[in-house]
Amino acid sequence: MTHIERRSTDILILGSGGAGLLAALHAKSANPELRVTVAVKGLLGKSGCTRMVQGGYNVALAAGDSAERHFMDTLDGGKWLNDQDLAWTLVTEAQTRIRELENRWGCFFDRNPDGTIHQKAFAGQTFDRTVHKGDLTGIEIINRLAEQVWARGIERLEEHRAIALIRSADGARISGVLLLDIRRGGFVFVQAKAVLLGTGGGPTMYKYHTPSGDKSCDGMAMALRAGLELRDMEMVQFHPTGVLAGPGTRMTGTIIEEGLRGAGGYLLDGSGQRFMHNYDPRGERATRDIVSRSMEREIQAGRVNAAGGLWLEMKHLGPEKVAKMFKGMVERCADMGFDLAGDRVPVVPTAHYMMGGVVFRADGSTALPGLFAAGEDTGGVHGANRLGGNGVANSTVFGGLAGDAMARFVPAEGELAPPDEAALDAAMGAALAPFGRRPQPLGPLRDALAALMWDKAGILRDAAGLAEARSGLDALEAELHAAGVADGMRGFNLSWADWLNLESLILISRAIVAAAEARQESRGAHWREDFPHTQDDAAGLHHTLVTLEEGQVRLSWREVAFTRLRPGQSLLTPQAAE
Amino acid sequence: METVPKGEKAQDTLKVRVWRGDAAGGEFREYAVPARENQTVLDVVTQIQREQEPDLAYRFACRVGMCGSCAMEVNGRARWTCRTHVKRVAAPGEALEIRPLANLPVIRDLATDMAPFFDKWARAGGTFQPKDAPDGAVPAEFSVVPPESKQRREADAGIECIGCGVCYASCDIVAWNPDYLGPAAMNRAWTLVNDVRDGARRERLEAVSGDAGCHSCHSTQSCTERCPKNLDPSSAIAGLKRTLFWDSLWGRLR
Ligand SMILES: Cc1cc2nc3c(=O)[nH]c(=O)nc-3n(C[C@H](O)[C@H](O)[C@H](O)COP(=O)(O)OP(=O)(O)OC[C@H]3O[C@@H](n4cnc5c(N)ncnc54)[C@H](O)[C@@H]3O)c2cc1C
Ligand code: SF4
Ligand code: SF4
Ligand code: FES
Repeated sequence: MTHIERRSTDILILGSGGAGLLAALHAKSANPELRVTVAVKGLLGKSGCTRMVQGGYNVALAAGDSAERHFMDTLDGGKWLNDQDLAWTLVTEAQTRIRELENRWGCFFDRNPDGTIHQKAFAGQTFDRTVHKGDLTGIEIINRLAEQVWARGIERLEEHRAIALIRSADGARISGVLLLDIRRGGFVFVQAKAVLLGTGGGPTMYKYHTPSGDKSCDGMAMALRAGLELRDMEMVQFHPTGVLAGPGTRMTGTIIEEGLRGAGGYLLDGSGQRFMHNYDPRGERATRDIVSRSMEREIQAGRVNAAGGLWLEMKHLGPEKVAKMFKGMVERCADMGFDLAGDRVPVVPTAHYMMGGVVFRADGSTALPGLFAAGEDTGGVHGANRLGGNGVANSTVFGGLAGDAMARFVPAEGELAPPDEAALDAAMGAALAPFGRRPQPLGPLRDALAALMWDKAGILRDAAGLAEARSGLDALEAELHAAGVADGMRGFNLSWADWLNLESLILISRAIVAAAEARQESRGAHWREDFPHTQDDAAGLHHTLVTLEEGQVRLSWREVAFTRLRPGQSLLTPQAAE
Repeated sequence: METVPKGEKAQDTLKVRVWRGDAAGGEFREYAVPARENQTVLDVVTQIQREQEPDLAYRFACRVGMCGSCAMEVNGRARWTCRTHVKRVAAPGEALEIRPLANLPVIRDLATDMAPFFDKWARAGGTFQPKDAPDGAVPAEFSVVPPESKQRREADAGIECIGCGVCYASCDIVAWNPDYLGPAAMNRAWTLVNDVRDGARRERLEAVSGDAGCHSCHSTQSCTERCPKNLDPSSAIAGLKRTLFWDSLWGRLR
């Protein structure tokens, strides 16, 4: 028998991004008697992507803007695949949440010269509605939330990685979560009356990616294994400008902010020629998906620089001006060895965000009683594409709502149900399995996965490539399940962590590929070279659903319920829509 | 497989000494890491863990200087490793020496326990308290705060702290007096003292006025010199001292 420490709490929150921290604060404030525990793979408030938000937070505040307008922009961006009730909750509740972030938790957003809240432009929106703190909005939000959590008697399990959601012995509800205490290398089972999944997705299986290193789709993988449905998994957003600093450096893939293109930056091919106007009249200012696809076409045509990517150039705007306007970005590039203001930076599109995820309701509840979900782990809010600035709004809005709902659920329906011990044993056995096998370096496997997903299930997809991805993933999974990790020091064992990360990433890659194979059209972030058209919305729209049955990924469809508007309709009067 | 881009000599190697051990003690071990054109100290540590020492412990998250979890001592000085290019700290042919951050308990190898650092942040009153609003109530509207007002500028000066602990590891008072709140916590307190929306000024000033607080700082400025975000905790602490002085003169503190 493997040793396992057992504990219990009323509410267990997985993850300390916008979703996790707001859920913790809301639950604790609603009912200070409740025991609330936050378990996080990294340090509390220092891991995840909410912290990395640069652009800012979309919310309709100003005169002339409205929740209706924000809603329409969100549906247009999402190509009508959104769950409209979730999208409506997003835009209305954001108006409450932003005030709460500023006035209650202490975020200090930037102001106009007259002292009122400043809102800036962000691509794809008909109104300047992005609230921000310089270009480091996420640091402000997460620092303030973490401070509030420390001050409130909320228990912390830092460097505790969730491994499996465990159902109750009767299978009817969640019993708790199996965690790995990373520092000690031992298992902890935390029994809880309600659990929030807020681990933040994160498409880190792609060769180039932006999210933080701690994210590896663990939440989605645990949800699939626990029998939940994932929707819209084919919808992966690529950001056009990731840094290409060469192999063997973690700088590669990190983001260069969008505002540079907005301000007039040029994208150049390997020979120094601009190319975006060959694809879109807006040139470099076209939307994320169009720019990423165009860049990928240039790359596939071989018009690349020595590093295999393209160039971003700003110097025609005047190096001093660039250095002043984009101080943080210029400094970051300098630290990486590039002169953004006066020279060129090698860039490549990079995987950024997953629109798909766990099917959930606006109060965070899921199909499994007691399990709630919020943030990037969930699907439905953004549809086929996410607007810049709607990501952090999503995690903070739904995290808070889930916290409220859990605080109501626990006294009314919560119970510390005994776990399915067999499932617990099986989950520990699976996590320990690599120690029983011959150790092997995981680098080649990680690189193979990254290349496979990038080349065959990335920005430009087709049936043949996706089929190769499918069989390639099967082979990689078999290889992972034959690969061992050296036993010895289990505490803070990053090789073991890597093995577990790969297991989550391969499973979720299979979900992405299954959904991408099924969707035989191009819509939003999903592009099929063999089906370049978007189907007629009026004929009815369906979203993909992925489940796991006996280890096999199963795909099905569900009709999008147009609960508020049908495609083509608008909440805005023709005059207001202008 | 990734290939080495043109113009890059992968055969060059870096000599790296890494501290390995735990709370009970440890020692330096030497490694050779392929040198690359673009390479941070974090990349060097990653290479060693991935290719040479599978059980080497270290911590990072964002890899772009936003999370503050990757700081280590590099050639005798605390730094954010994800934003520290090897060329900045080691001349060609020179060795790298990497240790865990000073002044914090070591968990293992390069990973430290940052809990004392954040506990002190809380102890220094580093948590916003809405003015005129008991916990739970949220003022309905945003405060009007002109960006050019003196207080907003003072608050902005230190607000972008990433909590990396570099200043804390560089402060000799922290080393001598384990209770000393340290530069980052007091930088946060000063930011809040200048935040016109905050209602806990008095409690906060009291929190930083004791022996463990601002009066222990002897203004060596190591914190300010080393802060990777170019913040100035030393001036923030001076600001607290000044405010406490005037407040006690006017009888505003007990
Ligand atoms: C570089 C970058 C810039 C961005 N800029 C913007 C922007 O300007 N505007 C915008 O709206 N959105 C932006 N986004 C998107 C935004 O950050 C996310 O949409 C959102 O914040 C996700 O919040 P979350 O709480 O779901 O997850 P995260 O904030 O990512 O938090 C996830 C948490 O879960 C933890 N975790 C992971 N796995 C486990 C596990 N197995 N067990 C326990 N804990 C686990 C992590 O350690 C972390 O604490 C950006 C994203 C990136 C990467
Ligand atoms: S100025 Fe004060 S806080 Fe900063 S390093 Fe010196 S003694 Fe420490
Ligand atoms: S003040 Fe500077 S050095 Fe200190 S924790 Fe903050 S960012 Fe790091
Ligand atoms: S890894 Fe986040 S600051 Fe270095």
